[in-house]
Amino acid sequence: MLADLMQNTLDGLAAGASYALLAVGFTLIFGVLRRVNLSYGPAIMFGAYCATWTYLNFQAGLLVLGIITVAGAVLAGAYVERLCFAPHRQGSAIAAMVASFALWMQLEEAATLALPKHLYAFPALYEGAPLALGAFSLRIETLLLFAAAIAICTLLYWILYRSRFGLAVRAIIDSPAAAQLAGINVPWVFVRVFALASAIGGLAGYLIAASQEQVTPMLGMWSTLKGLLAMMLGGLGSLPGAVAGGLVLGLVEAHSQWFFGPQARDLIAYLLLFVLLALRPGWMTTRSAY
Amino acid sequence: MAKAAFLLILALLPGHALAQRPQAELACRHAGTDFVYDCVIRLKRAGQPLAGADILVGADMPSMPMAHNVKPVKAKRGQAPGEYQARLDLEMQGEWAVKLRLSGPLRDQIVVNYVFDERGAQPVIRSGRSPRK
Amino acid sequence: MDDYAIGVLTNIGLFSFVALSAYVLLIAGEMSFGQQAFFGVGAYSGGILTAMYGLPLPLAALAAMMLGGLAALLVGLPTLRLRGLYFAMATLAAAEMARILFELLHFQREIGGELVGPDGTQGFRGIRWVFERGVEPLDYLLIVYAMLALVLALFLWVERSKLGATLRTLGEDPELAASLGLDVDRLKLGVTAAAGALAALGGVLYAHHNTYVEPRNFDIMLGVHSLAYALIGGLGTAFGPLLGVMADIGVLEASQVLSGYRMIAFGGLVAVLLIFRPRGLLDEQVVHWLKRRFS
Repeated sequence: MLADLMQNTLDGLAAGASYALLAVGFTLIFGVLRRVNLSYGPAIMFGAYCATWTYLNFQAGLLVLGIITVAGAVLAGAYVERLCFAPHRQGSAIAAMVASFALWMQLEEAATLALPKHLYAFPALYEGAPLALGAFSLRIETLLLFAAAIAICTLLYWILYRSRFGLAVRAIIDSPAAAQLAGINVPWVFVRVFALASAIGGLAGYLIAASQEQVTPMLGMWSTLKGLLAMMLGGLGSLPGAVAGGLVLGLVEAHSQWFFGPQARDLIAYLLLFVLLALRPGWMTTRSAY
Repeated sequence: MAKAAFLLILALLPGHALAQRPQAELACRHAGTDFVYDCVIRLKRAGQPLAGADILVGADMPSMPMAHNVKPVKAKRGQAPGEYQARLDLEMQGEWAVKLRLSGPLRDQIVVNYVFDERGAQPVIRSGRSPRK
Repeated sequence: MDDYAIGVLTNIGLFSFVALSAYVLLIAGEMSFGQQAFFGVGAYSGGILTAMYGLPLPLAALAAMMLGGLAALLVGLPTLRLRGLYFAMATLAAAEMARILFELLHFQREIGGELVGPDGTQGFRGIRWVFERGVEPLDYLLIVYAMLALVLALFLWVERSKLGATLRTLGEDPELAASLGLDVDRLKLGVTAAAGALAALGGVLYAHHNTYVEPRNFDIMLGVHSLAYALIGGLGTAFGPLLGVMADIGVLEASQVLSGYRMIAFGGLVAVLLIFRPRGLLDEQVVHWLKRRFS
């Protein structure tokens, strides 16, 4: 019983690590632009599909595929940023969001036109047996995912707190108007934040695809949903919250599935979010809704 | 408008259920062009093949139900009694709810879910999993 | 009219109900990702009442609308104080919970030697009201549009009335509305319930047109699409959402030229359109201009 609990916790944290990365990307965009990017997941899927296409045609190695995934996600992200967020910077948030939804549809159709099957194999992150630690088994992929997540978060921290770019980002998160008055080139920061968020997303997508050894057209919507859920659970607009939200989501899912089955897993996660939103604890609603 | 009103009045009369619903099975093969499939439909009722029905075959995607409009085609008589043939032109691969609208001796609509891939169609076996990942 | 055209037109009519449901909330200042849940409530309850209990469709539709309104209140009450993205995510969570509950719903009766009723993820087959009444597709199309016309008439009446102005004020500036002495909470709840009932009406009609519903019909895609159609068509008039639905399903689908590239074309058009018209094609400015031109 305890062994199951521990195993589920490990699995939950593993899933949570990928959710955390997705949530971090969403939060960067929301925190700085105050907008929700519904094309975030699809941009990641675009990157993953570029890598899959390369793998199918050129049998490329893991490193190359990783780079392509990130590059593809950043490219798609830039496209979305130019078309959906730059024009509405001073304008309507809903228009930006619906525009990002429109591009979501575009990206998804483009991906399924290029690769129409509903499942593609992706090379494994690690070929080999899981580590046996007493009664538990720990997949090496899980360790790699954790390591990657920690590395990315550390890098992000370093960027945000040790660079001028990061200073500008934090200034804008605090108050876009004040940042503008202080002479920060806000639109240019937006572009770079978008690129950074897309890159993180692309890396998350690559890790997810490689650890699951498959890519499906559902990856886009799945990433968007999980990222949004995790971001909201951790408190909108907070980066540490995004990480915490991701890990909590992973844990809640793993344990719910064990005790109540796969449908309950999703049900409980959504219920948790709904109840938290209804109760509106202070830590959750620090950021204004738009 | 008057016709709709008349129908609404007609609708107020209580109803009865049809007994013994027909059953259908599909066997589809990819026809070479995207995303066209040649399908053989086997129609049964109470265990016996159901011959002589007029079938109009349409399809819809379960997710995004009203957004795909596949041109309905009339099924042709097949080899054996109770067998019919139709060529389906779908928009993409994936899971489709194929709708068989029967007229002729029996008026009914049967909906069967199949997953269409690059070879043909497989019936959908629903487990408890939500269709994510 | 051939079967294909009837099918497309019926789908446009049915989708308009959900789009209008999202529109009503947008006017009142809230963005909902969850109207598909009430569409589903209407579909399942209407189908259960006619297929399993032999109720006539109009009665089943009324009951379904009430249930839809109630379900909407169930979601709207806890989320009354939420705004913007918080509200949107709450509605998303609620709608997904509803969908999963549909997946868990196994409720069947034996009628005429067969099991009829919702069967979890297998869906709810055998809603054969149209066959039991001999209602042809063309007749059903008329029924759908008759109901839609009634709904539109109601909308146009509300738009001209004080209630319409009140709702738009609420949407534009809730603080102003409250300072004017408007009971913001009651208004929001009223709008929420009405939107839920409207979506449920669409759901009942959808279930009986399709003769079959399944939980996947009511997923996020439906909700986000209806929100998009409402915005794209324009927030100036109830005809806006209809225009949005027609633009996507009608024009691009019927012109099979772009088949396979439909979403790429439509998605691009929408993004570009929104740059120039962030409140849609028939936004308040255009509607105002049209009214002045033709009065």
